[in-house]
Amino acid sequence: MSTLGDKLKRVSGGLMIVFAAALALEATNVVQYLYSQKVLREEAKKRAETQLETNRIRIMGVVDQAEAAVRNSVWIARWCLEVPDSLHVVARRIVEDNPVVVGSTVALVPGYKGRGPFSPYAFRDGDKISFASLATEEYNYPSHEWFTKPIELGAGYWSEPYFDEGGGNILMTTYSLPITDASGTVAAVVTADISLEWLTEMITDAQVYPHSYGIVLSRAGQVMVSPIETLSMRVSINDFADKAEDKDSFDSLSRSMLSGRSGNIPIKAGGKVSQVFFAPVARTGWSMSIVIPDEEIYRNLKRMGLMVSLLTILGLLLLLFILRAVAEKEKSYRELNEKKGMMEHELMIGRNIQQSMIPHIFPPFPERTDLDMSACLVPAKEVGGDLFDFYIRDEKLFFCIGDVSGKGVPASLVMAVTRSMFRTVSGHENNAAKIVRSINDSMSDMNDSNMFVTFFVGILDLKTGHLCYCNAGHNPPLILTDSIRQLDVMPNVALGIIPGMEFVEQETDLLYDDALFLYTDGLNEAENAAHEQFGMKRMYEVLHTRRGAQAHLDAVVSAVKSFVGDAPQSDDLTMLFIHFLGGANGHILHLNNAISEISRLEGFMVHVASETGIDPGTASAINLALEEAVANVIDYAYPEGVEGPVELEFKNTPRRLTFILTDEGKEFDPTAAPEVDINADVEHRRIGGLGIHLVRSIMDSVSYLRKDGKNILTMIKNI
Amino acid sequence: MEVIINKKGQETVVGLVGRLDTPASIEIAPQIEDLKEATSGTVILDCKDLEYISSSGLRLFLGLRKAAAEKGGKIVVSNISPEIRSVFMMTGFLNLFEIR
Repeated sequence: MSTLGDKLKRVSGGLMIVFAAALALEATNVVQYLYSQKVLREEAKKRAETQLETNRIRIMGVVDQAEAAVRNSVWIARWCLEVPDSLHVVARRIVEDNPVVVGSTVALVPGYKGRGPFSPYAFRDGDKISFASLATEEYNYPSHEWFTKPIELGAGYWSEPYFDEGGGNILMTTYSLPITDASGTVAAVVTADISLEWLTEMITDAQVYPHSYGIVLSRAGQVMVSPIETLSMRVSINDFADKAEDKDSFDSLSRSMLSGRSGNIPIKAGGKVSQVFFAPVARTGWSMSIVIPDEEIYRNLKRMGLMVSLLTILGLLLLLFILRAVAEKEKSYRELNEKKGMMEHELMIGRNIQQSMIPHIFPPFPERTDLDMSACLVPAKEVGGDLFDFYIRDEKLFFCIGDVSGKGVPASLVMAVTRSMFRTVSGHENNAAKIVRSINDSMSDMNDSNMFVTFFVGILDLKTGHLCYCNAGHNPPLILTDSIRQLDVMPNVALGIIPGMEFVEQETDLLYDDALFLYTDGLNEAENAAHEQFGMKRMYEVLHTRRGAQAHLDAVVSAVKSFVGDAPQSDDLTMLFIHFLGGANGHILHLNNAISEISRLEGFMVHVASETGIDPGTASAINLALEEAVANVIDYAYPEGVEGPVELEFKNTPRRLTFILTDEGKEFDPTAAPEVDINADVEHRRIGGLGIHLVRSIMDSVSYLRKDGKNILTMIKNI
Repeated sequence: MEVIINKKGQETVVGLVGRLDTPASIEIAPQIEDLKEATSGTVILDCKDLEYISSSGLRLFLGLRKAAAEKGGKIVVSNISPEIRSVFMMTGFLNLFEIR
């Protein structure tokens, strides 16, 4: 389950990632921003400088025209000095011939050749040219800068801009040039007035940014052109300086501009920083500047930054969303894992319960010298459908092995039920077939899930080695003597299929040192990665070596493991190894006094032959002798209808085989029977008596003893 | 235990297959009893597939032999294995039957 703490941890984990991504993006943005800023700054500089140069060229065009107009008139003005009235004509021509010139005068230096002040002024008056005299008391032209300065300098001079007081209140400036006469005396000053209205227009129109503006200063620092028209010519740059927030920069700007330098100085005004680019206009002493607010230069940068920030935020939101989705997925995955872990845990508990149901302490009977056994169950999944069980009751080993169809939980449930039934039924039943039948009937009745169990039940008499068994569709166990062979089993049908099915009990006898190996098909059908099966041949190879019971199972398990390799275990693997060590160096065959029991002697003799290595002929002869002896007991020791035990004990001693036949019937000494005449002819041949004759003929010694109410016949065969 | 009887006129061939032990003798006794009628002729007991014989089996053979003696017929035992031959020897049966 997820707690609030987990949730917070997860969310804050996501936020951390987003935060880190934001930092990285922001760093990128800052670098990009700084670079873009630099580029934009350079761009602004380039645009401003280009514009300043354009302006300068255009201004110089006008200035050149005005200067040329004046200069070109000098010769005629000089010529007219002798006839002052003709100076009207000179002034008029200057205005007439030069559209940029709005007014012109030729002003005589007072006292020149004894003349008084004289200054005829020609000016545009609508479409015509009118005249006025500047030599009035009121105007007093000799006091004006435009008149004094060029004489003082001895060169052309551009006046400080001024407002034309006479006509139209327009901004004007005057170019004036002194004229000397032939003797070199300054005689007059020739002027050309030009309107600076075009300058305001030009500067105002030619802006590099929507909100940039131009300012033109005169030589004296007067504002000639500025975006605020009313400021023009009414303030000096120094008036601004007083209001400037950054006085140092402003002073530096003002100094630079007034001294005719060009450059760029940032200025802070009204809380905003602007870049001021400035350049001088030659000869006039003016200084042009273009003022571009930083926010204007970096407007696009700002917009771009905004876009980038917006995109960044969107990206981060997307990242957060993805992270949350991933976290959710991870959470559900973890929950699934937790669920899976829980199921695995429960399966593990199931497995433990299952393992505790079957015998799990090995060796199981350490105190017994007549039995060495072991068993194991390796489930393919956590819980399996294989089962085995064993226990000892009345000196008999009851054991079973089974394989439920299918695997996993359903199989394990059937397995648990089967094992319980085995315990219950075998607790009071000594007949293997009846045990199987009883379990089969119970299972068939309640088998709604159509599961079945292959099953094998054995009951081994630990005193005698006599084995009763019954098979229900399970693969035949192996008997390990000197060689390995399959136990002779009837296949029958697996449990849970046919209710009321009659199962047949079979029996055999284990000799000292014989072993029984039971297994499920998980062993021989164990598959490797190439889908090859472990097979019987490999099983036989492993089992062929004689070992203790546990060592046998360990060897088989490790052989299977190395064969299977990395391939997943395909089926449960269950094995039971029963090593019989009873009846030390001997063997007892228990029979009932029924003629049919005689057939068991054949199997008994197979054991004897395999243990002693006698040839088949001898074995067959001994079989015959034993049969005759047993047949005698059955025929004569017990009255008709009386049941009783017949015990045949075999002792294997060097060079002789001893067979002791014991019964609890009435006293009967077969050796006392008269010898049969084997040479008698057909008519005199007796039907009886042949049996004991054969016993005598085959065995080397036959002796009878009556002891403790038992007939004991001892037969010895030398080999 | 299996008994296969083939009659060819006066000759009856009886194939004995398996182990003729005590239980088997009881099992086939009625068939052998029926064979006694044929002992006026020749009865050949083919022991090619007879693996084992006990005294109870020998007694069935002897019964047939006695019947043949009464009816003037003949019992022939053929194809006996060394083991069975030794049993015949031990019991003197080699003298009672024509062995082929």
